[in-house]
Amino acid sequence: MLRLIGRRLLLMVPTLILVSILIFALAEVLPGDVGRSILGPYATDQQVKILNKELGADRPLYERYASWAGGFVTGDWGDSLLLKVPVFPTVMKALGNSLVLAGFALLIIVPVSVLLGVYAGLRKDSFLDRGITISTLSMTVIPEFVSGVILLYIFAVWLKWLPVTAMPPEGAPFVDRFYYLILPAIPLMFLELGYIARMARVGTVQVLAMPYIRTAVLKGLPRRRVIFGHVLRNAMVPTVTVIGSQVGWLIGGLVVIETLFVYPGIGKLMVDAAQTHDVVMLEASVLMVAVIYMVSNLLADIVVALLNPRIRMGG
Amino acid sequence: MASDQYRRDYAHHLIEQVNKGHMTRRQLLVRASVFGFSASAAGSLLAACGGSSSSSTSPAASASGAPAPVMGGTLKAILPPSITDLDPVTIYDQGGIVLISQFCEYLIDLDNKNGLKPKLALSWSPNTDASVWTFKLREGVMFSDGSPFEAEDVVATLERLVDPKSGSAALAALAGILSPGGTKAVDAATVEFTLDKPFADFPYLVCASSYNTVMLPRTYKGDWVKNPVGTGPWTLKEYVAKQKCTAVKKPDYWGKDDAGNQLPYLDQVDWILVQDESAANLQLQSGAIDLQQQTVFQGSQALFADPNLRVDIYPGSGIREVAFNMQKAPWKDNKPLRQAVAYCLDRDAINKALYDGRSNLGYDTFWEPTVFPGSPTPSPRAQDYDKAKQLLTDAGLANGTDITLTFSKYLENPQFAQLIQAQCEPAGIKVKLEQLSYDAYYAGESNVTPWLNAAMTITEWGSRPTPGVFAQAMLLPTSTWSSSHWDNKDFTDTFNQYMATSDEASRTDLATKASGIQQDDTPILLAFYITQLRTQKKNVFGVQGPGSFYCDLSMAYMTTA
Repeated sequence: MLRLIGRRLLLMVPTLILVSILIFALAEVLPGDVGRSILGPYATDQQVKILNKELGADRPLYERYASWAGGFVTGDWGDSLLLKVPVFPTVMKALGNSLVLAGFALLIIVPVSVLLGVYAGLRKDSFLDRGITISTLSMTVIPEFVSGVILLYIFAVWLKWLPVTAMPPEGAPFVDRFYYLILPAIPLMFLELGYIARMARVGTVQVLAMPYIRTAVLKGLPRRRVIFGHVLRNAMVPTVTVIGSQVGWLIGGLVVIETLFVYPGIGKLMVDAAQTHDVVMLEASVLMVAVIYMVSNLLADIVVALLNPRIRMGG
Repeated sequence: MASDQYRRDYAHHLIEQVNKGHMTRRQLLVRASVFGFSASAAGSLLAACGGSSSSSTSPAASASGAPAPVMGGTLKAILPPSITDLDPVTIYDQGGIVLISQFCEYLIDLDNKNGLKPKLALSWSPNTDASVWTFKLREGVMFSDGSPFEAEDVVATLERLVDPKSGSAALAALAGILSPGGTKAVDAATVEFTLDKPFADFPYLVCASSYNTVMLPRTYKGDWVKNPVGTGPWTLKEYVAKQKCTAVKKPDYWGKDDAGNQLPYLDQVDWILVQDESAANLQLQSGAIDLQQQTVFQGSQALFADPNLRVDIYPGSGIREVAFNMQKAPWKDNKPLRQAVAYCLDRDAINKALYDGRSNLGYDTFWEPTVFPGSPTPSPRAQDYDKAKQLLTDAGLANGTDITLTFSKYLENPQFAQLIQAQCEPAGIKVKLEQLSYDAYYAGESNVTPWLNAAMTITEWGSRPTPGVFAQAMLLPTSTWSSSHWDNKDFTDTFNQYMATSDEASRTDLATKASGIQQDDTPILLAFYITQLRTQKKNVFGVQGPGSFYCDLSMAYMTTA
């Protein structure tokens, strides 16, 4: 397994190179240029040209890429062209914030959705099964902006039980962060609940129909042991794969939640960088999210392999 | 050269104009402020005209009944973040402008009604044709780095702003009016501006509505966030781009209130930088925020009904310019078609739909007296489909025509475009809507960018203090930002004469003529002038400045709620 893990880790290198080239090329086709973004719509053409030359933005694409890539791999991530702040600490801080939010959200989402999914699967076609399926599916289709605004209005504006933003004041103890993250985590739970619970339910139903489960029951094993010893272990395989694929989104794709709850995460950082042609900031942010995405998928595959040794990774 | 004799003559002239009924008392106040008369001097002029010298009160001052100022405390204010680094020379968006103007100051301030009042300049006056302006500076003012504020700093600031290499966001506004070498220090406290052409509104180009003209020391290197410097009432404690900005009271600030109390009243202002309007409004409603510097009407209706908040309305002059590109079909040499579109608009309905009727109506000219006091009254343009159809027939388009309207998905532009589309249809004008992203709309050089090259466009403009500043920016053949590419010699000559005269009777005549030409030829549609909104908790008082991109918190204070 270690060889397989090593191989997957090595494969990340060409993937990241490809992603970085794609980002550079795609940023090129976005309307406008960095000089115009910095100086604004009312600057004259001459001013924009002078600034683009100063920034080196008038050089050919391959030259700019080579110059950026050379700095990036040697640890010089440069400064944001728009904000004039160093890229490395800015991206790492935003990534850290996103990891905290995603981690907290997963802590709520995974147990709740797995519990509901397995429970529904064990009671297939019952009133409870249908209730869980319909309600989780309904929650999934509510856009996070809508659920976020409603939750904010009820719990922060009206009842004043929870804070209106996702970041505690400076100097607050670290645990306070979780209190501030309760509201933003709920719309994420709504979105993910239906998806993960459905996978858990399907996995449970499929495993329950397997001959070895029937054998275990006929052998007279207690129901609790059948569920926890055989059903859950095997039913979790597709669920873990889905969770692994969602981690990347939970870290890099939460632009709406970060915007609504004024949370300085990496999703908003990426969107802002893309909109303003801040390529150095965009590259670093996207590559970090890509790394997280690949690592989380790798971890999911490892967990799946541990749950079911018959599955060979990378095969 | 400006002289006291000239100022005295001009004062007599203003009094005469009011007494003869050629000018309103409010117009006198505006013109007196442009020519550097202090508020008390302007009040004396009004008194000399007879009658009361009192003028209507501004929204903030009208919080008369406002309690006595309270010293100390921390105000939490909310603002969209700046897109770029905070550099006074290059900033162009609300977030950057509002923040910089907390720490740096202008030569001339704006009151709550866009009137001029002295700040770092104590007085200013022109020569007889308004081509040379002399400014007397306030003495004893220090920059936060300990250096004194002097005429050489004004020269360095203005020279930097007219230098194309500096990235100055004020360059285009000053183009054709002030060139490199035009600013000179007469002595440590006197500056002389020699303009490229006579320009009677010049003080407005170095006041708080010309956002980049904050005074910086001659040693400024373009690294404001690393070395924040200014003469303002606050010093920068912390700035985290896109997140927050903390301003603390400068204990030795030069400003004092009328009672001699040291300004600012507050100890600290915490600016929370929030892009999303819904998120900002929810923060206001939750009570976490004390002040929203500028409130956008669309989506903020709930704030009006909130019992804990007060929404002040200021007489703004922001516009959504609907420009007909005169270099392109079908608008080139087609005045009847342009007028036909103008007569399709139900401006009142548009105002109600977009701003709940709170904005002022416009009639396709910048000289609008409800917005710029003293302007000649234009002919109203009510919706008139019969006239529109007749004009279409005159244009040889009796069976109607198809046009394309290009705009960005920004603010209320899409809703405005849909209203134009719906209101043109009954006359037989089918409007195809071309919606672009904000970036795409403004992308590219001036010969390709959609906002200056599409056939018909909607472009958003913030408040400007006079019709002249608007017209200079977009209606002359030399204007950098002309989406209409209008080149009307009669208008240009009239406008240049208007800007070169200080005789108020002649000014009014020339304004009437220029306004008539603009409205008749209809290079652009001006359906409304947007009023500005500012939201605060009911215990917040003393916020100064019109509700546009400029606000002065030196006299702001909070009572216990």
